[in-house]
Amino acid sequence: MRWHKRLLVAGVAGVLVLTATACAGGQVRGAGGTPQPETSGGSPAGQPGGQANDNTFVYAPNSDVVTDWDPATSYSNEIVALSNIYEGLTRYDSLTKKATPRLATEWTSSADGKEWTFTLRQGVKFHTGDPMDAEAAKKAIERTIEKKGGAAYIWDPVDEIEAVDASTLKFTLKYAAPLDLVTSSGYAAWIYDVDAVDADGKTTAGTGPYTIDSWRKGEETELTLKAYEDYWGGWKPEQYKKVAFRVTPEITTAWQLLQSGEVNFVRRLNPQLFAQAGTTRGVQGSQAQSFQNLLVLFNTADGPAKDIKVRQALQAAIDYDGLAAALEGSGVKASGLVPQGLLGHVEGMEPKQDLDRARQLLAAAGYGPDLKELELDLTYAVGDDDQKLLVTLLSSTLKQLNVTLLAKPMNWGAQWDLGKKQGQDIFVMYWYPDYPDAYSWFLNVFKSADKPQFNLSYLKNTGIDAAIDKLPELTATDRTAAEQEYRKLQEKIIQEEAAVAVPYVQRYQRALSVDVQGYQDNPAYPSVVFFYDLTRAS
Amino acid sequence: MLRHLARRLGQALLVVAGVVVLTFAVMRLVPGDPAVAFAGPKATPEQLAEARARFGLDDPLPVQLLNYARDLVTGDWGTSLRTRQPVRDDLYLAFPASLELVGAALLIAIAAGVPLGVLAARHKTRLPDLGVRLGSMLAVSVPVFWLALALQTVFAGGLGWFPIAGEYDSSLDTTSPLTLWTNITVVDALITGNWPIFTSALWHLVLPALVVAAYPAGVIAQMTRAALIEEAGQDHARLERALGFGETSILTRFALRPALNPVLSLIALVFAYAIVNGFLVEAVFNWPGLGRYAAESIRSLDTPAIAGVTLLVALVYVLANLVVDLLQGFVDPRTRSR
Repeated sequence: MRWHKRLLVAGVAGVLVLTATACAGGQVRGAGGTPQPETSGGSPAGQPGGQANDNTFVYAPNSDVVTDWDPATSYSNEIVALSNIYEGLTRYDSLTKKATPRLATEWTSSADGKEWTFTLRQGVKFHTGDPMDAEAAKKAIERTIEKKGGAAYIWDPVDEIEAVDASTLKFTLKYAAPLDLVTSSGYAAWIYDVDAVDADGKTTAGTGPYTIDSWRKGEETELTLKAYEDYWGGWKPEQYKKVAFRVTPEITTAWQLLQSGEVNFVRRLNPQLFAQAGTTRGVQGSQAQSFQNLLVLFNTADGPAKDIKVRQALQAAIDYDGLAAALEGSGVKASGLVPQGLLGHVEGMEPKQDLDRARQLLAAAGYGPDLKELELDLTYAVGDDDQKLLVTLLSSTLKQLNVTLLAKPMNWGAQWDLGKKQGQDIFVMYWYPDYPDAYSWFLNVFKSADKPQFNLSYLKNTGIDAAIDKLPELTATDRTAAEQEYRKLQEKIIQEEAAVAVPYVQRYQRALSVDVQGYQDNPAYPSVVFFYDLTRAS
Repeated sequence: MLRHLARRLGQALLVVAGVVVLTFAVMRLVPGDPAVAFAGPKATPEQLAEARARFGLDDPLPVQLLNYARDLVTGDWGTSLRTRQPVRDDLYLAFPASLELVGAALLIAIAAGVPLGVLAARHKTRLPDLGVRLGSMLAVSVPVFWLALALQTVFAGGLGWFPIAGEYDSSLDTTSPLTLWTNITVVDALITGNWPIFTSALWHLVLPALVVAAYPAGVIAQMTRAALIEEAGQDHARLERALGFGETSILTRFALRPALNPVLSLIALVFAYAIVNGFLVEAVFNWPGLGRYAAESIRSLDTPAIAGVTLLVALVYVLANLVVDLLQGFVDPRTRSR
């Protein structure tokens, strides 16, 4: 046999071997562990599943959509899909700072905030066809609590749940808490049919406006949802009946897909592309403050930052305005610890750079240009450009004050491990609440802890602890008093203790196709688009 | 031939064993607690402890290594901390897409690189040679990420000749669902005669495959040229010239066969290289392959998944070399004794 014929035979044999080894055996794409694509029924022929059109809304997330289908334990990216499949008793409105009706139409709490009674919406059916009543809701919440996964801890205050009658659900709490905010959580607060939970995502057990159409893990169009025809809110012709999630890791690719009309929503653009969104035909920009802020936590327990003067000097050295300007809109200057839109947010606490004061404070602590050099270890998140910007600016400012910042970018696991061992002077991290309540910052980040988890300033102050403990009851019973307590606490933690500096609150810069109407960002549900609320302009 | 095969297989197994140990070491040397990746950034101490127990992270390192090696042999590549699925299943979904992209790219690279190498060798030091050398140097040195963005912006976003991203038009899943046999979309569409998906997949493949093909095409062209020029100076070429064969005939009929031996070795090398190089291209073109999986795994410190990708790439590398070794022995029996 001639050599090239031998090569050809070998090549063909190789391909056959490759094919044989890779052979999966005649499975329709999407079937087996995932729902089978429909050739009739739910998806009428000719209605594309992954392309934006009159009926289909295409969302471009930057990473995999679903890692956990169980509404009890889900605690990741899938919030963008599950929030449209499942509903809670209430939903938070960041404009009014209050919970609004969803599966519950009204609710009351006892004077001491320990008993909450929710009246459920009538005529609501799960996707399984079974009615959603108080007994079903009780079972769902109890299952979530028992699973102890994800954000199940939000139900910690609950002592007992009682289905008084088909439409009345009563909670008895161990201690007073704002349960209407807990029931508004983006995670672990969904009401679902406990007998129909499918961890493989073949079926859904919620009451929301959408159900699963297809889930193709690892594919570009990973997930499609279709309208739940029996949704209690009904349907109008101009609403989107189908939703596709098209995974697009690269921002520039997502931007091109948006411009070409292939996707309707890009969850986060960089400032440069966002600036173009306003002037690009067919595209509209949307920006909204998030509930996520950056915390620069100073080590109050050990090292040079144990001296409050050093901490105050560091607070004064940060160029808050310069940083906000450099972020080009992707972050805005913070006022206090609690972001806008949450009970407890205070105006007028915006920090300012004051280098003279920083110099004086450092000198009083024995450091400065003509004194001893100060070295500080700082850790921050690797790959986060915004944090890197802060570190760069701070480092160059501190250099003028004879302070050397030894900054280490680390992955979260390593940074957190080091933090728990008090291994740094300054710990930089983001914080956000799991349900729309400012209590999360105070309980987790600033309450004394012998073994710190997130109290990475290692602050120990019994007065502050006592004030933090009062917050849930105040929020549940007297929100005006709660506002005042939040203000006092922030003044104590930021100004008196100088345990933290809050340089900025992240701002979402998103882009949508211009034909989408009704979009409103809700920071309580990060990156969630409530597709049911949208209509397509004719 | 059998002894040759056994020797090569033994060497390959040694390399794979080394990679397993190295992969494990790197997994454990990476700072940070892998349990955090599984339990989430705000995990409670109880959730972290449960995750550590579940993945045996509290066992001594040698025990963990032995368990890891044993599990690998039995087909258990661990569970991804991010997707919470078996890594083997995740790789089974992602790898065929990468194989499709790199396979197409290599076909393009060979189809372009070998003739260009012949052309350059035939017109050595003249304009075609200069053009090929310059072109291949550019193809080799242009950053793949930049090339991907440039082609996408010009030919997809700007001119609209090709799709911007994706493996095929996913709306076709509704109108003409694809039956999977190999998980390689183009192959499955061809086997099952699913022409709408076949044409769509080919169309989507053009730009990313061209980008991935750039580097291999450049090196194949240069290697073919160099090998042919060397062969053209051998005694047999002088004899062929004396017998009246023309230069083109000598190059293509007599010199090309021995010259292809180093090119075959090179193809094995660039195949494995192209899989990794293609990661960035996959990111730009939303290609649902290993690149996307690896990038997300690295971002979330999903050590079992990172180890899985590393091991798979190493296996591909070893396997590609083995196949080429055997092919060389098949094509040129003289190499079996080396």
